[in-house]
Amino acid sequence: MTLPETRDRDRDRDRDRDRAGAGPASPPAARDGFPQLLHAEWTKLRTVPRWGLTLLGGIALTVLISFFSAAGSSVEIADQDRPPVPAGREGQQLVDSVGFAHRALHGDGSITARVSGPAGVEPEQAPEWAKAGLLIRESLTPGADYAALMVTAGHGVRMQSEFARDVPGSAAASPDTPHWLRLTRTGSTVTGYESADGEEWSEVGTVRLADAPEELSVGLFVGSPDITRMERAFGNVTVGQLGSSATADFDEVSIEGGVTARDWRHTDIGGVSPSAGDPGEFRRSGSVFTLTGSGDIGPAPTDTDLAATALNGSQLGLVLIAAVGVLFITAEYRRGMIRTTFTAGPRRGRVLAAKAVVIGAVAFAAGLVAALVSFLLAMPVLRDNGHVPPMFPELALGDAAVLRAVLGTGLLLALIAVLALGLGALTRSTAVSITAVVVVFVLPLILVSTLPLELSQWLQRLTPMAGFAVQQTLPRYGHVERLCLPENACYPQGPWTGLTTLLLYTAAVLALAAWRLRKRDA
Amino acid sequence: MSGPGPGPGPGPGPGARAGARRLGTVHAEWTKLRTLTSTWWLLSAVVGLTVAAGVAVSGSLTAGACPVPAECHEDTVRIGLTGIWLGQGAVIVLAVLAVSGEYGTGTIRAALAAEPRRLRLLAAKALVVGALTAAAGAAAVAGALLAGRRVLAADGFPLPALTEGPVLRAAAGTVLYLVLTALLALGAGAALRDTATAVTAVLAVCYLLPLLAGLVSEPEWQERLLRLAPSTAGLAVQATANLDGLPIGPWPGLAVLTAWTAAALAAGAAVLCTRDV
Repeated sequence: MTLPETRDRDRDRDRDRDRAGAGPASPPAARDGFPQLLHAEWTKLRTVPRWGLTLLGGIALTVLISFFSAAGSSVEIADQDRPPVPAGREGQQLVDSVGFAHRALHGDGSITARVSGPAGVEPEQAPEWAKAGLLIRESLTPGADYAALMVTAGHGVRMQSEFARDVPGSAAASPDTPHWLRLTRTGSTVTGYESADGEEWSEVGTVRLADAPEELSVGLFVGSPDITRMERAFGNVTVGQLGSSATADFDEVSIEGGVTARDWRHTDIGGVSPSAGDPGEFRRSGSVFTLTGSGDIGPAPTDTDLAATALNGSQLGLVLIAAVGVLFITAEYRRGMIRTTFTAGPRRGRVLAAKAVVIGAVAFAAGLVAALVSFLLAMPVLRDNGHVPPMFPELALGDAAVLRAVLGTGLLLALIAVLALGLGALTRSTAVSITAVVVVFVLPLILVSTLPLELSQWLQRLTPMAGFAVQQTLPRYGHVERLCLPENACYPQGPWTGLTTLLLYTAAVLALAAWRLRKRDA
Repeated sequence: MSGPGPGPGPGPGPGARAGARRLGTVHAEWTKLRTLTSTWWLLSAVVGLTVAAGVAVSGSLTAGACPVPAECHEDTVRIGLTGIWLGQGAVIVLAVLAVSGEYGTGTIRAALAAEPRRLRLLAAKALVVGALTAAAGAAAVAGALLAGRRVLAADGFPLPALTEGPVLRAAAGTVLYLVLTALLALGAGAALRDTATAVTAVLAVCYLLPLLAGLVSEPEWQERLLRLAPSTAGLAVQATANLDGLPIGPWPGLAVLTAWTAAALAAGAAVLCTRDV
């Protein structure tokens, strides 16, 4: 609210500034330099107390909302009876439960088999990542280091290890035609080979085992990951995990090297998974082994992105920062100051560039401070509310993903402020520009949780809100199906892709504004 | 859109003159708004954005959302009217500028010299802005519903008849919603006077509160916010199915918005009557 006196004071100050800008004391040549323009624009921004207060308000709003949304959060553990989840080397949550028919291997050796499958048992159409193949494990305990070579239902041959690593082999291999696989162990190195005919072999990849004890378990495995069922209507989401199982036949099975006298044994790694219900099966008739199993070996990604939660106040704070970006140019139009500005710097494109640099830098600083404080305040609260390993990752400011999210939030707010400036220059109207920014950034954020999923994901990809993708920190794995819902601040695209989308919008609006500035009378 | 009556004429009696003068104020406001090109741009934006967004959202329903269109759980009427979220932005700009624009340029002093009874001036502004919004809103809602139906019918969705009670309620309620939002913005413009402040405040109430509801993780507070925010409460009137799942019923929701509007108008009137211009 502006009191009449303040407005007069503003006007006086404007007049003073006009005088200083057009004064004969300074040589005109120096006026035209870009550093001088920057300095002039910085002085303008600095000397309007209301704008500084609004920027501070933007920071405070971001921090407050982030803090309170963290304070209200809680963790619901759906299934108390579930056995303790295995944790990986960095404390991340894992899935480690497959059907495994195995023997003990001493020292170096190799296992070869011809795999027919996997074929779906329940349901008949196997999930794309149902898998059957060869497995070498350090132990039968869930979470143990392993090397696995497999034929998948929909993604050809893969070699997987360390829960997160996934190396593709030949994509042509399908569950319908038998395929040869071989794993060879030499010391701590395991190498995978595949062949379509058992004659010509090609290498798929190598894996280094962490401890590589003398005795390892080698054998055949079958897994079939849970199927996620989702119903999303009226803004409510119901997500259910449905167990699935698959089967595969193995023949021409041979193990070379130091195999103990003990015969084949069958283990459901991690016990029988509660979602699958039935234990796996292992049958042998002649030289053909038939194995049925369910589950998966891989990372178990969580839905909640803690860093994004700790930064979500920026979705509201952006409005105040964008308002300053708009006013930075529309206020000059309203007071006629813009004419003085263009007299002092007749090259309008450069004036706009100087304004963009100044507001962008200031908004970046404000956004960075807001993001840092939000993260540092909200993280301990989230942790106190139960967001702790192994269900949730332990995040620190130094992690690459967290740094990207925090710095990215600064960049995001800088781009929003510059976009707002461009809109202000384009429309010359405060009301229209501020509304446009809010509608463009905030409205998609409101609507994505109520609109049909497909449309929501297109909004996330194509509207400027894509920039918020930079706040994601959850790792993405190609070899695990993960439900990516806008409700969980999950964007279909990667962090930098999203920020680039926003950058393109900002550049386009700024270029359009520069063009219009030159064409139109001030 | 029907223009108000003729300007002030030479009336025979004092009562008639007062009536003519009231109409004169309305006429003056109508002239002010009519002669601004931005008014027509904004009103076209209300219709265009609402219809375009409605068609886009209805069109998106086909692919993944419903496995069998005939068993679709989505509230097609409500989805077809989603565009109102865009259209209300233009309405807010129009209504805020109707007051704050006069403060920005100083014509408010001339306006009050012509009509010293300030409440009457505010009422005249509210009448003109409300009527224009109602007309544009009716066109937008009709357009969005009819265009959305064409898109949905082409995909084989079962559609409720347009004369069914809930559909009529959604249509009429959405127009009312837009008018009430316009008056809320008008009141805020009169109370805050500065365009940037007033627009930001109204946008915060209309857009940031619902967003905040999405960020709050406690379900109790979330529900409370959804019930209290003017836009989410007011738009409950668009629901034609699954009414029990709503945080607030259609008409009570519109009543919440009305309370916000009344408060904004009262604040605007109080500031206008007590403060110097």
